[in-house]
Amino acid sequence: MAEPGKNLTWPSGAEGETGLAVAAARAPVAEWEATRRRFYTALLVPGLLVLTLVTIVPVLYLIATSFTPWDLSRPGSLQFIGLRNYVRLLTEDRRFWNSIWVQVKLSSLTVPFQMAIGLSLALYLHLQHHIRRLVEVFRNIFIIPMVIPPVVAALMWRILFTPEVSIVTYIMGLLGLPQVRWLGHPTLALLAIAIADIWQFFPFCMLLLYAGLQALPEEPMEAARIDGASTWQLIRHVLLPMLRPTLTVVLLFRVVDSIRTFPLIYVITQGGPGFATEPTNYYAYQQGLFHGYIGYSSAIVVIMFFFTLALSLLILRRVQWEGGEA
Amino acid sequence: MSTLVDTRPTVRRRNPRRVWKRRLSLALNLVVLVGLAFVVLVPILWMAQMSFRTAIAQFQMPPDWTRGWTLENYRDIIATRFQRNLLNSLIVSTATTLFSLGFGVPAAYALSRYRFTRGTLIAFWILAVRMAIPIAFALPLFALFLRLQLVNTYQGLTLVYLTFAIPTVVWILRPFFDSIPRDLEESAYVDGANLWQTFVRIVLPLSAPGLSAVAILSFINAWLEFFYALIFTRGPMMTAPVAIVNFLNYAGWDWGKITAAGTVIMLPVIFFSLLTHKYLISGLTAGAVKS
Repeated sequence: MAEPGKNLTWPSGAEGETGLAVAAARAPVAEWEATRRRFYTALLVPGLLVLTLVTIVPVLYLIATSFTPWDLSRPGSLQFIGLRNYVRLLTEDRRFWNSIWVQVKLSSLTVPFQMAIGLSLALYLHLQHHIRRLVEVFRNIFIIPMVIPPVVAALMWRILFTPEVSIVTYIMGLLGLPQVRWLGHPTLALLAIAIADIWQFFPFCMLLLYAGLQALPEEPMEAARIDGASTWQLIRHVLLPMLRPTLTVVLLFRVVDSIRTFPLIYVITQGGPGFATEPTNYYAYQQGLFHGYIGYSSAIVVIMFFFTLALSLLILRRVQWEGGEA
Repeated sequence: MSTLVDTRPTVRRRNPRRVWKRRLSLALNLVVLVGLAFVVLVPILWMAQMSFRTAIAQFQMPPDWTRGWTLENYRDIIATRFQRNLLNSLIVSTATTLFSLGFGVPAAYALSRYRFTRGTLIAFWILAVRMAIPIAFALPLFALFLRLQLVNTYQGLTLVYLTFAIPTVVWILRPFFDSIPRDLEESAYVDGANLWQTFVRIVLPLSAPGLSAVAILSFINAWLEFFYALIFTRGPMMTAPVAIVNFLNYAGWDWGKITAAGTVIMLPVIFFSLLTHKYLISGLTAGAVKS
């Protein structure tokens, strides 16, 4: 094992010039570099191998099965049929197009509200810094919906939307509002899912935007205060413009995550009534894992997979691989 | 209260008006915050109280809080062997934590200390895994596991959980390792320690706080996972979140059991999440937003 020369600045693998330090030191440095490369590669490779096994291999298999009519209940159905699943999906399958429309409605109901509520709370918590401890206690309370098990969150709302056991029924009765069977009506069922989803994930926006606000530099704020800006002006012209990159990233994350909603649908409506609350993710689950049509379901999932992949590229372009490479 | 607001005696004497203004603003703040907290907590509290009510009391509107309290629901879930499901969750979550740390910690350290030529690609890979819909892995893995006899086994579910557990560990710990000064490692090399000894004897002990936080997060994420568990476990192998939903299906709507089981799996998660919320942000976004 090579000893690093004393004249070397250590370690920072980022610096390529270390080898140029002193001509005489070149050979041991090269040897040390090789040792380092071998060592760190050996640390990295096992993790990447497992990750390959559980992510890359399945996705390749998924793409392969999407070209077959594979049905778990029909052995021997694993044969190549080209793009037939995709053609059928895109041209004939009304339920697929309906599921996309449901997803669009659901995401456009939930994401804007989550962003608005999250941003308001984050700004509120941020601007009340003179009562910081109190604010932190409440921030911790507000993140609870996000950290409880998703299936439990779904069950809570299933209870609240079941009139016989729900406090909502009682409160609506007190206010003189009519009793509604939330889950029996297509629009109301979708609204019920949206309400539960907003409740569960507004803390995500709040937490991330609050962290974003806390990370902003103080000086522009101080300058604006000295110039006599009102709180509203401060928010509108100083905080929001500076927060924009974070807002974009949080928005993208919420859009992508809204596509994977599962426990809420599974527990509260099961996609019904009819297919009124069946988003694409749930439809793919029904086809593949409930009915066993692996091939057809794979085609749906492949389309969704590449859509989310494109969105992650968008996010990655906006953020750097945090910290390193500096 | 005095710790929350700055009300020094001198100020109070000189400018009573300002003090009252401050108190008023504090009171207003409290009203707003408590109101919001109430809205946030109502679903949770409603479920928790239902778990302690008799079947008749659950259906009583308006609720009569003076009577109808019971521990019957908790006895019922023990009678239906819910503890077996809790044990399944415990085993799979522990295994997931151990393996994700075992593979993820060295990888995160390597990515922090060495500039790999494909570094950005690895970053994208990990972020893409975080963003991908779980069914993209679940569907092909289910088909593959059917052939490999891995469906409905602890090994199978743990393997599936590594899809999200390893990326989470790497993304949280890489910046954490970046923040550990390298001077100590340098002096260890000068003293003749090799890279492995330095990693195990110097870096890992220094990283104990980060490692324990990420271990807790890994555990929680596996503990509350529902989608994969629904697909990969059946019958007595079901994890706790899947078993609860099963209470919905047979014997009608057994609200007592559902709410009791829900309360049981929820409480530890709330407690531990609040302990580690500092790391929650990078865990949630795979590091794409700094905390």
